[in-house]
Amino acid sequence: MESLFISLGLSEDLAIFITAIIVGTILIHFLAIFAGFMTWIERRLAARFQFRCGPNRVGPQGLLQWLADAVKLIIKEEIIPQGADQTMFRLAPFMTVVGVFATFVVLPWGPNWIPADLDVGLLYLISITALVVIGILMAGWASNSKWALLGGMRAAAQIVSYEIPVAMGLLPAILIAGSLSMGGLMRAQGWLPWDWIAFQNPFSMLAFLIFFVGSIAESNRVPFDLPEAESELVAGFFTEYTGFRFAAFGLAEFGNCWVVGATATAVFLGGGNLPGFLGENALISLLVFSAKTLFMIFVLVWLRWTLPRFRIDQLMEFSWKYLLPMSFVAFFGQAVFMLISWDSPMIQQVVSHAMFLGFLGLLFKFSTRVVANYKEHATPVNSRATDYVAPPVTEVEAEAAVAE
Amino acid sequence: MKTYFNNIIHGVTSAFEGMSITFSSLFFPAVTIQYPEVDVRSVESQRKTYNGPMMGMSPNYRGILHVDMEICTACLICMRACPIDVIAITNVKCEKEKFPGRSGKMAVKTRAATRFDIDIAKCMFCGLCVEPCPTGAIYHTNEFEMNTSTVEALVLKFVTPQEAADAEAKGKIIEAEAALKKAAKAAAAKEEVAQAPETESKGEE
Repeated sequence: MESLFISLGLSEDLAIFITAIIVGTILIHFLAIFAGFMTWIERRLAARFQFRCGPNRVGPQGLLQWLADAVKLIIKEEIIPQGADQTMFRLAPFMTVVGVFATFVVLPWGPNWIPADLDVGLLYLISITALVVIGILMAGWASNSKWALLGGMRAAAQIVSYEIPVAMGLLPAILIAGSLSMGGLMRAQGWLPWDWIAFQNPFSMLAFLIFFVGSIAESNRVPFDLPEAESELVAGFFTEYTGFRFAAFGLAEFGNCWVVGATATAVFLGGGNLPGFLGENALISLLVFSAKTLFMIFVLVWLRWTLPRFRIDQLMEFSWKYLLPMSFVAFFGQAVFMLISWDSPMIQQVVSHAMFLGFLGLLFKFSTRVVANYKEHATPVNSRATDYVAPPVTEVEAEAAVAE
Repeated sequence: MKTYFNNIIHGVTSAFEGMSITFSSLFFPAVTIQYPEVDVRSVESQRKTYNGPMMGMSPNYRGILHVDMEICTACLICMRACPIDVIAITNVKCEKEKFPGRSGKMAVKTRAATRFDIDIAKCMFCGLCVEPCPTGAIYHTNEFEMNTSTVEALVLKFVTPQEAADAEAKGKIIEAEAALKKAAKAAAAKEEVAQAPETESKGEE
């Protein structure tokens, strides 16, 4: 696009500037629309998980519900509490939006479709998401409310804790690809599942899981939504916000889902790579990438409606005692595996194929469990077998009982 | 150390199982009945549009109260049973009638209601008035929609003013007859009483 403007007779700097503005406008509109659409996805899926219908009145299947919600939020009265720090209070929601939106600079859309393929792409991604904490902490501090302050402090503690496992979880992928840029990471993978970084070996799989769980925690979603725990903190850091500024927090939160999904897809799940016979068709590549990202978002929502919320001490324990050591194991194991298999692509091939086979086996096991649970649930409660035997006490429970 | 690894295994397996349960729930139809579009009271119309597990209303659904004035004996039992004074009844005497109640048990009607009001705005649908009714005249319907523009309109009146006036007029006649009979009886009794001492005193002598 730059070359187009240069050919029109503009200077190079001006061409880059105009291109940046156009791309930025498109992306921020995508973020805003996707965040709205994401609320619809979230609510519809949550309803399906709970045998409900969900929003289905506005537009076909309730597809335009988010527009109605946004209009309602925008025309609402703006209230700033007494004693609040005016400037910081007004600024905070936009800081979080900027923190989320700035990641779109390096998020890819296809093999060669990246707004800016920085050489330090992943480093930039990790550091710029920390801007969200500043916004949240500002909101909590400036609100002049106990709940908001507690929520902001929790968010800061949580994001600082989970930043480390997330960054450590990305390290094995960087080792495999030998590059920090998103383009380099995507070029290091193929279109087949066993060419993806997640299925390279057990350690990269572990790293992928750690990265994904840590990212959920960083985006403050259930089961890690301690900063906005309704039962404890009213609404957490955005307790005092109304109208458009409240909507901006929602935009950041739901837009972050795309960031998590897209990063996981680009770094671990092969990005938008296409098989050789399709060539480098940008549109199909974009579709593949979006489909993978949307699946990861589905997993996010699915996890949210499966697991209950952590307690604050469990949250910290999970990060420091479990995720962090495991991420060290993943990093170290990956390094050792690379040393062993450095000269033999054969070992790499065998291990990655075996990993994918194992994954298929797990998928089969999962589907049998789904069928079993479906059958159990489809049986009316009164017609279930009456000779119910309590399941045997697991070792963990037995040990807990002994400890008590 | 063993607990540590057990915790990891336990966490992973329980998340796996939990996710399989939530995933299986995606294949069930929604339980929600989309009420104004679906006729909740008729099972047949629900079957056409709705395939969830809920079919029709419960037969003992406690909806808005209704009184069958044909078999009401105006006995005031429901009025006394009501814990919050929702029911107001006044009655007059009427011709004696014998008829079977809803349960088939014979009931005797000696009084007719001139007023039978139920204040639905106050009613809490506890069903305490339905249980003691000797004829089954008062009962809960399936009806639950009752929007009115004023609170006064929520008072259900089961006796029209015309019926009340008729019953009152009849009641007066019956009462007057009864009073006449009573007076005659009383006079007869007096005569008896007046005669009796004479015979008794005679016997003593």
